[in-house]
Amino acid sequence: MSPDDIATAIADALAQGGAQWLIASIVAFLPALWTMALVLHLGRPYVLRTLRRCGLRLGADVWWMSYLLTRDAVLLMTFALSWIFFLPAVVANSALPITGSVAALFLLLALAVKIARRVDDDINAYRLATIFLVAGATLYYFPQVFAVEGADQPALQGIATALTSNTNVTVALWLMWISLAGVALVALYLFVHALNSVNRRARAGAPAPTAPIRRSARAA
Amino acid sequence: MNVTDLTNAIISGINDGGEAFLEGTLAAVLPIVWLAILGLHLGRPYILDMIDRFTLRLGADLLWLVYIALRDLMIVSGVVMSFMFFFPDVVTGTSLPITGGLAAATLFAVLLIKLMGDPDHDPRLFSLTTWLLGLGALFYFVPYVLGVQAASIATGQLADIANWMVSTSNPTWALGFAYVSIGLLAVMGAIAAIYAIRTGGRPEPAVEPATTPAA
Repeated sequence: MSPDDIATAIADALAQGGAQWLIASIVAFLPALWTMALVLHLGRPYVLRTLRRCGLRLGADVWWMSYLLTRDAVLLMTFALSWIFFLPAVVANSALPITGSVAALFLLLALAVKIARRVDDDINAYRLATIFLVAGATLYYFPQVFAVEGADQPALQGIATALTSNTNVTVALWLMWISLAGVALVALYLFVHALNSVNRRARAGAPAPTAPIRRSARAA
Repeated sequence: MNVTDLTNAIISGINDGGEAFLEGTLAAVLPIVWLAILGLHLGRPYILDMIDRFTLRLGADLLWLVYIALRDLMIVSGVVMSFMFFFPDVVTGTSLPITGGLAAATLFAVLLIKLMGDPDHDPRLFSLTTWLLGLGALFYFVPYVLGVQAASIATGQLADIANWMVSTSNPTWALGFAYVSIGLLAVMGAIAAIYAIRTGGRPEPAVEPATTPAA
């Protein structure tokens, strides 16, 4: 093998290996993000309990704002990184949880509930978002733990083959296409909802959301 | 060997090495996270002493909020970083403390107690979380120090004991502990989800006026 051959091999390996490494890193990071998303969403009573102990409005506002931003940013990031479950080549060639795409759809549904309804004021909306999140997490964790991360265990061979995307490609791709259609529908609904809400606000002649805050701050 | 073989060998090396590096890094950082969790939890009297000395309510509020945010986020990080203990292939393929999964389950139990109760204002729950953290620390540190770390230098009977505590040299027990931990986590997760759905994400009504934490 000549030096040129070795250089070619290293260059190819870096390019292909780097792509695989990126996907593997996302796959490895997703359980952490799902867990964070669940803990932050389910931990709302704990945050509110702490909030009402705050003696000053400033501390309470900072605490609540930090919680909301972190909770919803983690949800959004989890969905964004779950996009690998909608890439047909990755689904067919990498060992991914077979229901990862459905889990991502449920996550988007939870986000849609948060956008369409006031989850922090409406108990039923919170319950609906929780059900979507828990269903999505279950669909993600089960094949991740018992199939993708259990493929070498003789006792789990059947489950591993059935629930890993690259060993059950047909089902994995069908689930992916169905979930992708679901994602498109939810995205369309969110798009229409955003447009309608802007139009409603414009018709009502409502001021920009920050205006009253600025006015009262100046008055204070 | 041709160019394709060499390319595949390098790719395999990059991915396997990267995975081993990630798991090794997590395993190396976890003792630090555990120590920070214990330090912050056990350091509560020190924080309360400081709060009493504040002349401004704002400073006291901020110190308390920063303290509990750090303390409880550390516990969440501990659970998240312990996820490798729930993956059967990682447990049997990497040298990990054999009861690491049970340690993670105790951390999750602490989070569940904090979700459903108020350990900062209920001495009974605070004691319970302290005992659980102590138990979790034993589950983590004993097999980590006396097993994973000591296995390479122990000899004779001690080497047998050390090897028993390492997941790769005792895969049957390690997998058993991992499955038990997964079951515990699933049950506690279901309890947390049912609690959140039942309460609609709201805590129980306040029964006392807002005060600073009781000493």
